Amino acid sequence: MKWVLIGVAGLYLFGSFKRPLLLAGVVVELFYLAWRGMDLGRLPLVGPHDTLVFFSTSIGVMGVPFLYSKTLGESSRFTFGVGLCAGIFTLLSLPFPSFNMPMPPILRTYWFELHVALAFFAYALFGIGAILGVLFLAKNERPLLDLQYRAALVGYSFFSASMVSGGIWGYYAWGTYWLWTPKELWTSILWLFYSFWLHLRLKGNQWDKWVAWGGIFGFAVALFTYLGVSILMKSSHSF
Amino acid sequence: MFRTIYDRLASLTFGLWLTFGVIFFLGIGSFWGGGEEGSSINEMALLQWLRVTSFGTSWWLWVTVALLAILALNTVLCSIESLRAKWQRDNFLVRIAPQVMHLGFLLIVLAHLFSAAGSEKGAVQVMEGHAIEFPDGSRVQFNNFQGSIGQMGMMTDFSADVSISAHGIEKTHTISPNHPAFHNGYGVYLKDLGLERVKAALVEIHREPGAGAALAGALLFTIGNVVLLAVRRGR
Repeated sequence: MKWVLIGVAGLYLFGSFKRPLLLAGVVVELFYLAWRGMDLGRLPLVGPHDTLVFFSTSIGVMGVPFLYSKTLGESSRFTFGVGLCAGIFTLLSLPFPSFNMPMPPILRTYWFELHVALAFFAYALFGIGAILGVLFLAKNERPLLDLQYRAALVGYSFFSASMVSGGIWGYYAWGTYWLWTPKELWTSILWLFYSFWLHLRLKGNQWDKWVAWGGIFGFAVALFTYLGVSILMKSSHSF
Repeated sequence: MFRTIYDRLASLTFGLWLTFGVIFFLGIGSFWGGGEEGSSINEMALLQWLRVTSFGTSWWLWVTVALLAILALNTVLCSIESLRAKWQRDNFLVRIAPQVMHLGFLLIVLAHLFSAAGSEKGAVQVMEGHAIEFPDGSRVQFNNFQGSIGQMGMMTDFSADVSISAHGIEKTHTISPNHPAFHNGYGVYLKDLGLERVKAALVEIHREPGAGAALAGALLFTIGNVVLLAVRRGR
């Protein structure tokens, strides 16, 4: 079924220039996820292949309401950013084999699915916040920064809820809501970073450029938390 | 002079620097914490680990904890100042939502302190029909080990029945992954099961005294967060 994902990546990348193609990419990738979910009998959230597909779908889905916001209007640059981002992560999923084995008993709980799904919704919104930060730095239009704030605040809310559900799952699975592993540390770093960023906005308009850059840097921290830690460090999370 | 110290402690800028400091040292810790000494951090209560581990391994955590303690104080003072400043201005929900989130954060920090001081963890291998005893005299007996093997030879599901006897009362639970049994603040967790030749289970006993406060903090934070999203909608 990898040809479907190649098609989705094409739709996203060409959708960077034509919005209907981007929307078609989102719909097709949602169908792909639904098909895999029905095939596996669970949400496809284990391993780099499935999580990268889930991540790129989340970017597309979370990007749709912003595509139609009054602030962005017909902004082709935002569409380009979302299409490029979703397309790249779809392509990145291709070299990885999909995890088709039965889930280990420890992962068979709604807390796990909630924890992972919410984290990817948050990462996607942080990505959209980063795109809006780039647009603000290019155009210096204040409403773009307000939109970046909304994306990051909703992302932060999803991420906080993901940490809560992860803590509850951890308590029932391992007897503790917290483990000192690199993944947990970087999850806390990411959460603290966005707490820092949300408070930095309170310093006033003279900090606008710092805030915009912070939104971009935050997405880099999110990517390191997701991919960097999993690839470079030993952790309780495989991905 | 006290006024200057108070103003500094209650300032947003100071809070931002403290948060940056916690982020920075946690980041260092994520790279520094490897090795045999560092990896034992999850095997005992944090304060005990800090006592038995060399400063060369744990220094980043000492600095983080110190910064976090000052950040907690800064959060309390900033919340008080914010409530005082906005009391006459914004509507009640706008005033209170961020402070409820701050309270949730503080409770979670407090929960970590409880757990750092009093958490316990032990692992034991038990045979079917065998029992273990707690220091208070209560007894946990393990029966009816069951497991199913999938097509690829992996254990896809397993469970055990536990009978907990305390003060002449016996209660029976079925434990499995994600479904522990609780007794007197201790959780009994089934980690693994072997069904070949003899039936044996790997069981872990955990005590996490901060769990209740962490859950309360998380709920408060989530409520404050949802209210904040609602009142800031469209702004």
